[in-house]
Amino acid sequence: MFLERSERWQAVAFTAILIAAIAGLYATTLMLQPAPVTPSVVHSATLDVRGASWTIQYRPETTTNNTAFDLLREASVRLGFPLGYVPYAIPKGIFVTSINGTTNGDGGSYWQYWVNGMYGTVAADHAVLHDGDAVLWTFSVPQEG
Amino acid sequence: MMPRGWRAAVDAGLGDNRTRILGVFLILLAILGTYVMRAYANIETVFVASLLAGSLLGRWWTVLVPLSALAVLQPLEWGMTYRGYMVGAMAGITFFVVSGYVFVGVLGRRLRPRVLFRVKSVALLTTISVPLTIAYDLWTATGEWTFLTRPLGVPFATMLEAQVPFTLYHLLSSLIFVPLFGTAFLFLHAYGWPTRNPEEATSRPLGRG
Repeated sequence: MFLERSERWQAVAFTAILIAAIAGLYATTLMLQPAPVTPSVVHSATLDVRGASWTIQYRPETTTNNTAFDLLREASVRLGFPLGYVPYAIPKGIFVTSINGTTNGDGGSYWQYWVNGMYGTVAADHAVLHDGDAVLWTFSVPQEG
Repeated sequence: MMPRGWRAAVDAGLGDNRTRILGVFLILLAILGTYVMRAYANIETVFVASLLAGSLLGRWWTVLVPLSALAVLQPLEWGMTYRGYMVGAMAGITFFVVSGYVFVGVLGRRLRPRVLFRVKSVALLTTISVPLTIAYDLWTATGEWTFLTRPLGVPFATMLEAQVPFTLYHLLSSLIFVPLFGTAFLFLHAYGWPTRNPEEATSRPLGRG
């Protein structure tokens, strides 16, 4: 036998403590995850994308893509420009890596977004839009959020 | 003769065949586990591989496992997360990451005399992994602050605050992977691989170099 009786009890006790610790820690990490965004219809939202030497404008009358990222993705499909992004599971969120061929890191600049002039402090797919919101994506040197 | 002396040093450093197989397994575990889990921040297997390399195998494997794994993983990191950053910043962060994992391996080596295939050994490795994970995260957060966020005017306290959820994920990773792979590798280390008839296998761990 590989485990003696006392070893078995130790194994059971250790496993129980370990499962409790993992469950507690997992519950804490879940609480830190951003709340999922509920889809809704948004009117008159605007999107401006400013690359190093080009700009894109998108003005849908209505959209159900009610986050800063989803509006950008909708524009990329409608206007036909490439969009690169990486989805992260933990912490949950989308990281935009390239827009219209301009890729993060070129010249030390990165894609960042603002909503109504406010710098984005959450992942763009968790930045909820409302009627008339103005979304701006710029390719610029990072700043503190 | 010089060649014989060099070969003897390599043999002594890498250990016997079983030690070498386990060493290669640990390197593969570190690389593949971290790569597969890349979408999950701080859920990685380099930590557990480094800890087990030091505590189970010792010798050159203490540094060979983390260095080999990071030789593969760090360039991938440079090409993805840190793509476009200055070479100096990447080199600085890499120094903190590599030295952090080597420290984990070296600390694991300090535990060696107490590590056998026993529940207490797995519990010891798991317990020590908690403060070690926190220390590693503090160390690498210091590196990221020094080379990435301090130049942008971010205070160290803000950096540490932002680090908290990522350290929780890292602790979750350690609490899952250290007992899981610790048990598996302690078993392989003590009884060999592939396992023959348990009655024929020795209950004594391998000789320690």
